[in-house]
Amino acid sequence: MMRPSQIALTTFYWAFIVYLFLPLALMVVMGFKDSNFIGFPINAWTTRWYVQVFQDTAVLQAFGYTLLISIASTALSLVIGTWCAVFLGPARFWGRALVFAVMCLPAVIPGVISAISMRIFIRAIGLDPGTGAIILGLTIHNVPFVALMVLSRLGAIPRSQVEAARDLGADSLVAFLRVTLPFLFPSLLGASIFCMLLSFDDFVRAFFLGGYQPTLPVLIFAELRSGMSPAINAISTVVLVVTAALGLWAERGTRRLKGTRS
Amino acid sequence: MQKLLTPRRTILKSAGLAAGALAMPNIIRSARAQEKVVNVWTYANFIPDDFKAKFENDTGIRIQIRLVDDQGKAFNLLTAEQPNPSVDILTIAGHRFSQFITSGLLEAIDTDRLSNWNIINPVYRDSDWILIDGQKWGVPILAGAEGLAYNTEVVTPEEAESWDVMFDPKYEGQTAYIIQDFMSVTMLYLGYDGNMVEYKDDPEKAKAVVAEARDFLIKHKSQVRKFYDGGAEVQQMFINQDIVLAQAWSGPISKLIMDGFPVALTIPKPGSYGFVYNFNIAKNAPNADNAYQLLNAILGSPEVGTAMTRSSGYLSTIDGAADGLNDLERRASSLSQEELSRLTFFNTEADQLKYSLVDPAVEEIKAA
Amino acid sequence: MATTSERTGNDAALIRPQDGTRGFWTRLTGNPAYQRASDLLLSSDRRRFWLLAVPALIWMFGTHLGPILTMIRISFLDSYPPTAGRVPDVTLENYLLFFQAPNYITPFVRTFVYSTCYTLLTLSLMYPIAYFLAKKLRPSRQMLFLLLLLVPFWVGEIVRTYAIMILLGNRGFLNIVLMGLGLTSRPIPFMYTGFSLGMGLVYLTSLYMLLPLYASLEKIPRNYLEAAADLGAGSWTRFRRVTLPLSKDGIASGCVLVFLISTGYYATPVLLGGPSTTVFAETIAGFFHVAGDKWPEGAAFSTIMLLASLVTVGLFLRLLGRRRGSLLG
Repeated sequence: MMRPSQIALTTFYWAFIVYLFLPLALMVVMGFKDSNFIGFPINAWTTRWYVQVFQDTAVLQAFGYTLLISIASTALSLVIGTWCAVFLGPARFWGRALVFAVMCLPAVIPGVISAISMRIFIRAIGLDPGTGAIILGLTIHNVPFVALMVLSRLGAIPRSQVEAARDLGADSLVAFLRVTLPFLFPSLLGASIFCMLLSFDDFVRAFFLGGYQPTLPVLIFAELRSGMSPAINAISTVVLVVTAALGLWAERGTRRLKGTRS
Repeated sequence: MQKLLTPRRTILKSAGLAAGALAMPNIIRSARAQEKVVNVWTYANFIPDDFKAKFENDTGIRIQIRLVDDQGKAFNLLTAEQPNPSVDILTIAGHRFSQFITSGLLEAIDTDRLSNWNIINPVYRDSDWILIDGQKWGVPILAGAEGLAYNTEVVTPEEAESWDVMFDPKYEGQTAYIIQDFMSVTMLYLGYDGNMVEYKDDPEKAKAVVAEARDFLIKHKSQVRKFYDGGAEVQQMFINQDIVLAQAWSGPISKLIMDGFPVALTIPKPGSYGFVYNFNIAKNAPNADNAYQLLNAILGSPEVGTAMTRSSGYLSTIDGAADGLNDLERRASSLSQEELSRLTFFNTEADQLKYSLVDPAVEEIKAA
Repeated sequence: MATTSERTGNDAALIRPQDGTRGFWTRLTGNPAYQRASDLLLSSDRRRFWLLAVPALIWMFGTHLGPILTMIRISFLDSYPPTAGRVPDVTLENYLLFFQAPNYITPFVRTFVYSTCYTLLTLSLMYPIAYFLAKKLRPSRQMLFLLLLLVPFWVGEIVRTYAIMILLGNRGFLNIVLMGLGLTSRPIPFMYTGFSLGMGLVYLTSLYMLLPLYASLEKIPRNYLEAAADLGAGSWTRFRRVTLPLSKDGIASGCVLVFLISTGYYATPVLLGGPSTTVFAETIAGFFHVAGDKWPEGAAFSTIMLLASLVTVGLFLRLLGRRRGSLLG
């Protein structure tokens, strides 16, 4: 019953999914290889790499630590990024383009350089390397992405809705909280997923700004020195499954909630 | 859309709690009051857990390990931390000493404070690269070489006797090397001093030598499948059969051999360069006394050397360490006497001159 | 707007009727302390502007500029990290170096050509997908399908890149399948070519394109399209005249993001690229990694790249003829 365009788009979507998931499937399979290196052919199989993930406290701690840092920096980035976007969106003033450029800067600088200059910078402001410094570094990096995504939706907000709220007597803060913010929600959700991903996978900032507790990427890079082993694949697979489960749980919760309310 | 908020908040909250619970042991540990520590920057699995627990138990000094995966990063990090580094002991290869020393990042080693110093094989502890300005700058732990790695199912040992094979049209598009490292080897192959110490006072000659090596590599660029950077890459290229020949560090290749992969490592004619990883003490190290105590304990425990060899594939500088390895591991990590005789150590004496010429040459080879 | 303060007294009455959860907002706006603060901070456009501006500007100029100024300062020094006992001099050498040597300009130009290509490629791949998600799926399914696209990104870049290697290698999955099917007798060298590089990079950039596109397409009201259809517009016309113009914001921010980010990519090009695909970020990283004591050159080159990419983006946005009031005023 579907129209040709619908069929084409559906096929295209699934083809892209295959492209995205094929390397992942290989990664999952390689986690079962009984060898110290990934790659074909696979002569023997084992589950020990997966078992090890759950026995290795260093991995579990690194996972928890990375999650903690990602959540903290995401929360901060959302607040600051939205603030910057709301400020820059409607404002008209001399030098706005300059301010806009300054806002985008952290997203553009190559990681190594931004991390090293951040390292020198935090010393200048008297902040010790460690959890706080990593969170600050990640937040600075994330803010432009949040702001850009919020800005692109902010441009489309129906004036009439804000006006209506004002007419109903809401002051600008209340109008913002009750009209603008809900309208921005999809881009905030997108931005938060984005920030989580950027923070979770960040190596270079965690390395230069961190202390003696490794984040997961730092741990993986260190392990990589003795070769890309099935153990690393197993760790990544477990992380993937846990996060995918969290995502699906959130999605189901959302749908159930929508179902009961409407 | 606002309805979405509720479950998301719950999720964030539970995720936050879970993360907090997982990270808790560390938060508690770092909050613990002043205690004796020693801070080490080193590679994964270099200091075995058993040894660490025993040392901490015996001395009351806690070992804090910061995982580092690359010396360039360690250099950058230490530089950014100066003059008050958080580190006591770090891991550096001998041929990078001068870079760290000129930037004032290292402390010379007081060998009198290490009663186990003489356990180190004299080849390493008394060699010339370790001595700069009359002082010794590191505690040698692992030795490695720039070797020729080849897939034994494709390349014969006879072919691999000389670096010639890297430029044999038969293997076009099937070789790989690290340009910076291979520049030294190429200079040696062309009959020059890859350390460039001979040309220290003759910049014109030095320039000509580098230019010749550069042009030679550009001429043979079609041989190359990939200019690579790290050990894991070259391992993967061999496994995937993307290459059959490579200039490679001995460690990553012996790890492949230990895993039963059909690859071999040799030091072809006319020779190649060797290097040694060291534990070094940082300038202004906050816990220098504890650092010496740890270094001494490491030298006195061959099992640490064994663990390092097993993890990295490099040869331990402590003779007893090889006893802990099995046959395959020992075979994989060692070289024949004849091969060893072709090896000279990297020497940093002329580094300033060398890298001022080699670095631009590397860019030109890449751009060609 | 001047009447806002006069109105606050009536807020409670006006808000109550449309509000099921009357307690919080009513109590908040009715609270005298809130009213005083609101009068002080929100009572005029100018005040609101400064209320928003001050923290935002402090954040941006403090944290965004701080590290960059550090970098720019280093780019003018003749040695950094400072050699013990020597104060570094100010110099322009590091910038001149870039213009003197052709082997630096090649990767520089290459980076911009590549980034433009990746941006266009990613746009052409992700637009249909974002369109499919936002316009062809029931809203209840959108989230699930979107999440499905996001799942792979929870695997770190490095692990994913190695997985691509064992997919494309001479003895990789793809070649095994092709040879098993008898389509080729010798392995095809996919790795270390433009193909493997493109494959790895699209993986990285697709997300940055997808989310802005989806956000902008999702907000186009369905009835616009229905109205156009009622007016007799065919599906192509509807797309060209309604959907495309209304998703321009998303296209612009997606392209800007992807372009800016892909100029800075380092790890993936290094791992998947061939011997002749050096990009500028790799050149810059070389100053920090391999020759660890060349920060000034690295910093100068970063500054050059930064300026160039910002100018490119500025030109792009100008070219797009964006109306005032959206992304860049």
